[in-house]
Amino acid sequence: MDWILQFLPLSIERLNIWIGAICTLAIYSILYRENPFYRLFEHLFIGLAAGYALGPSLVDVIYRYWWEPITKEGVWWLSFVVPFGLYLYFIYNEKYGWISRLVIGSLIGAYSGLTFQAFSSRYLPQLHGALTKPLWLPSKDAEDIFWSNIFNNWIFIIILLAVLIYFTFSFEHRGVIKRTATFGRWFLMIGLGAIFGNTVMARMALLIGRIYYLLSDWLGIQIGGR
Amino acid sequence: MERQTVWHRMMTIDRRLLYLVLLVTIITALILTVNISPEVTPAVRSFYETIEALQPGDMVMVSSNWSAGTIAENRPQFEAVLRHLMRKRLRFTIVSFTPPARDMSLRLARQIAKENNYVEGKDWAHFGYLPDIIIAIKGMAEDVPDTIRQDVRRVPIQRLEVMQGIKSLKDYKLVVDITPSDTLGAWISYRPPNLNILYCPTSVMAAEAYTFLDSKQILGMVTGAKGAHEYESLLNLVGLGTRFINAIQFSHVLIIFFILLGNFAMFMQRRASR
Repeated sequence: MDWILQFLPLSIERLNIWIGAICTLAIYSILYRENPFYRLFEHLFIGLAAGYALGPSLVDVIYRYWWEPITKEGVWWLSFVVPFGLYLYFIYNEKYGWISRLVIGSLIGAYSGLTFQAFSSRYLPQLHGALTKPLWLPSKDAEDIFWSNIFNNWIFIIILLAVLIYFTFSFEHRGVIKRTATFGRWFLMIGLGAIFGNTVMARMALLIGRIYYLLSDWLGIQIGGR
Repeated sequence: MERQTVWHRMMTIDRRLLYLVLLVTIITALILTVNISPEVTPAVRSFYETIEALQPGDMVMVSSNWSAGTIAENRPQFEAVLRHLMRKRLRFTIVSFTPPARDMSLRLARQIAKENNYVEGKDWAHFGYLPDIIIAIKGMAEDVPDTIRQDVRRVPIQRLEVMQGIKSLKDYKLVVDITPSDTLGAWISYRPPNLNILYCPTSVMAAEAYTFLDSKQILGMVTGAKGAHEYESLLNLVGLGTRFINAIQFSHVLIIFFILLGNFAMFMQRRASR
């Protein structure tokens, strides 16, 4: 009897869990067949996600960075910022569409500059890392480099060159170049297979997470561990 | 009517039957307690050792950008990271760059902080949701209080005890990015050079991050729920990663079995039809 009372949605906390369980079952019902129950919850989910984003945006962005500085700190010029952003919506008007381009131009200019900075800090260390890998044992005193590292570095360099040749289209692939490019393509396929394997692992984990929720939180079944 | 072979029937099996077998396997693996000791990968060990090397009172930024869609992979990472930071008595601040991540991380952080006697504002703080990661990181790299202004409770950043002696991201020792999306690129690109990065991606994102690991742009990585299991084993914790790992492993074995069986059936059917 106690178990039934604990299971039923008789408190706010239990009601939340019941709503979560019903949503989960409704979404997974698509696995059986297309049905209106699934469609209803799919639309509900999309609407909720969009509405939910509005709350933090109003509280943490509009209020914190715009309304409060204007009303409490007297930074009056900020009052022009939001209307400037709203100019984007002129894109729907044929006559005044050019106004939206002021905002779009500002955004493109700012992000172009930022991208230049990102390129150097993101890719140069990778180039440096790839080009400075030791391909032989430097000396007998090098304690942190082993033959296994050297072997790995050779594999890395060979695959790197093969894949780069596969993506080189400046000349026709013939003879050794063609065979190297094919070699590179095979390793690309292996890489993509590894990425897809990780994707399967991620999707499985998400399914397991929902089943865990149904078993543990909703049905109250004790789930193991060590 | 043409008689169907067993291979043909195998090729046209109802997919719902496969789902049912998968469901039963996962439920069985979750309920049965089978202890699987993890092989801790170098990326996870390095992640653990980087936090271990910090001194009590050092400041850490936790960039939490996950929400319900990836809760099974990112929540175990988030919980384990916070418990590790609190065990080491490190100060930390949390920031989110997606709206749902703000409340999920806040609720969970408050719960874990309560269990570990961590006081909000004194030992840790949540900066709330910031809409643009690049602008936020560039701003914080110069001046955190001026960029963030106030925490989620509307307390000005300068008045937070946890922020004593912290002016910018240069005063932080570490950033831990827990994310299902491409926020790592922004942290790598715009952080101050002295700020080290640890990464907790979903399994989908992990493959692309190995280049950053190789070039030491990130010092450690915990990949999905499987990585969380390895990390929990180093922390001697029983968290969600440990609870999920049996189901992950058994479901993978089942999928591999299905793939082999399906390909074998296709091969045999082609051979029979010749």
